[in-house]
Amino acid sequence: MGDDTLNTEPVLHIANLHKEYYNPTTLVLSDLSFDLYHEDFLCILGPSGCGKSTLIRCIAGFEKYQGVIQIKGKDVEGPGTDRIMVFQDFNQLFPWKTVLNNLTYPLKLNGMTDKNERREKAEEYLDKVNLLEYKDYYPHQLSGGMKQRVAIARAMALGSEIVLMDEPFAALDAMSRNQMQDELIRIKEKEKMTVLFITHNIQEAISCGNRIMVMGKNGSIIENMKNPIEKPVTPASAGYGELWKHLNQLLRDNK
Amino acid sequence: MKKKLLAQIIFIIFVLVLWQVLFELKIWPKLLFPSIPMIGKALVKAFADRSLGQMILHSLGLLVEGLIIGVVLAFLLSSLSSINEQTAAVYNMIVCMFDLIPGIALIPVAILWLGIGDAAIIFMVVHSVIWPMSRSIIDGFKAVPRIYTEVGRNMGLKGMGLVFGVYLPASFERLFSGIKVGWARAWRGLISAEMVFGGGSALGIGYFITDRRTNLDIAGIFATIIVIVLIGLLVEYGLFRTVEKNTIVKWGMTH
Ligand SMILES: Nc1ncnc2c1ncn2[C@@H]1O[C@H](COP(=O)(O)OP(=O)(O)OP(=O)(O)O)[C@@H](O)[C@H]1O
Ligand SMILES: [Mg+2]
Repeated sequence: MGDDTLNTEPVLHIANLHKEYYNPTTLVLSDLSFDLYHEDFLCILGPSGCGKSTLIRCIAGFEKYQGVIQIKGKDVEGPGTDRIMVFQDFNQLFPWKTVLNNLTYPLKLNGMTDKNERREKAEEYLDKVNLLEYKDYYPHQLSGGMKQRVAIARAMALGSEIVLMDEPFAALDAMSRNQMQDELIRIKEKEKMTVLFITHNIQEAISCGNRIMVMGKNGSIIENMKNPIEKPVTPASAGYGELWKHLNQLLRDNK
Repeated sequence: MKKKLLAQIIFIIFVLVLWQVLFELKIWPKLLFPSIPMIGKALVKAFADRSLGQMILHSLGLLVEGLIIGVVLAFLLSSLSSINEQTAAVYNMIVCMFDLIPGIALIPVAILWLGIGDAAIIFMVVHSVIWPMSRSIIDGFKAVPRIYTEVGRNMGLKGMGLVFGVYLPASFERLFSGIKVGWARAWRGLISAEMVFGGGSALGIGYFITDRRTNLDIAGIFATIIVIVLIGLLVEYGLFRTVEKNTIVKWGMTH
């Protein structure tokens, strides 16, 4: 981070990505290509079943694929800490560890040997998601939204090149969802994170992304644009209505 | 909580009083139906003069040894058998078959192969533990939600790291229930075996009860039964409940 290749070399480079599942044989992604640059916040929209989760799982290294997926020029050959995944499922924290230890554990696995350093770093990131006072709780004692915030803090604390989010707020009520969006945008700006974010929600894509991509059937990219609306985005922002209509139309036409 | 305990205590007192009343009514001869004070005296005597305490420790020592061997073997065999589907199927069949053999039916084999003594007892205990434990490991590992293993791999865990970091804690409830089933069977099997072997170098609690019978000491027999029940209660409430309270209950992982 912070070197001279900034914004010139893509953090994530995908070329001619091809993915099919066997049994039953389903072609999900074919010839998909795009790049993601440092500090991008890419929101991907698309109808259900179009292959969004498949795409993000390929990037995360959980699926076999054909084609090119590179992180800073390095081929993706399996899961790794340079890409960290935040799932939609609230149960992605380890229930047998406290909130704090859910953060310190991956730090320990990745070579941070000093216990105090780990604790301090974990506390710093829990504070960023406003959950420091819950550090000694176990995950089952938290609400769904709190769990997602811990998962985000865990991902950030690892300092990965890119955070992969597959509808992390989809199961939240509208109010917590808006709150989480604001929080994520604020943290992302401050931490200069690179984020790939899947959502079903047009408002969410417009509010969060600085880039918006729409996928159609068979994992084709039917839109890949810069988000023209200034942050903070509200439905009253100039151009919001037009953009919303445009994206909604694309999603309707490609159901 | 308090009320339940009170009810249980009242029930026990009721049984003791009823027993003593039946004794006072002299329905059965004293030789077959001892009084409560007689049983109490026999209990004291068993520990003071007949070294029942030592025998219990001996029995429990063998039990723990057999439990450890059984659990370790179950882990080794379950993991070895998981290298491919054929070996897994074969081991699954072995577990099903051997699980059906009551421990007591193996006593003749144990005696012929290992002679009368501690080795034969340990053989019995291992038999009681290894099959239910294998089942718990196989089923438990299979039931670990994919999200935990993916999160673990994402953090950089693989191989044995993944087993100890994710599979073991995530399936702890099942593994522990395997140990509980194994313990219950082993405890019964051990007492049966000691009763059959009787004397010689196999001086455990099972031997003690047979010895009391040959001496027509009915109070001593009841005293030993009480001790067996107490040990069972101690393990169940003192040990198992404590472990559960500090693990799966604390983690919110009970169903
Ligand atoms: N493990 C699998 N085996 C076979 N087919 C699969 C598998 N996982 C997904 N698919 C298929 O791949 C296609 C894309 O699924 P995917 O989960 O990527 O869609 P999605 O865009 O994330 O949908 P949603 O918005 O509903 O989450 C679907 O047709 C699905 O049935
Ligand atoms: Mg999906």
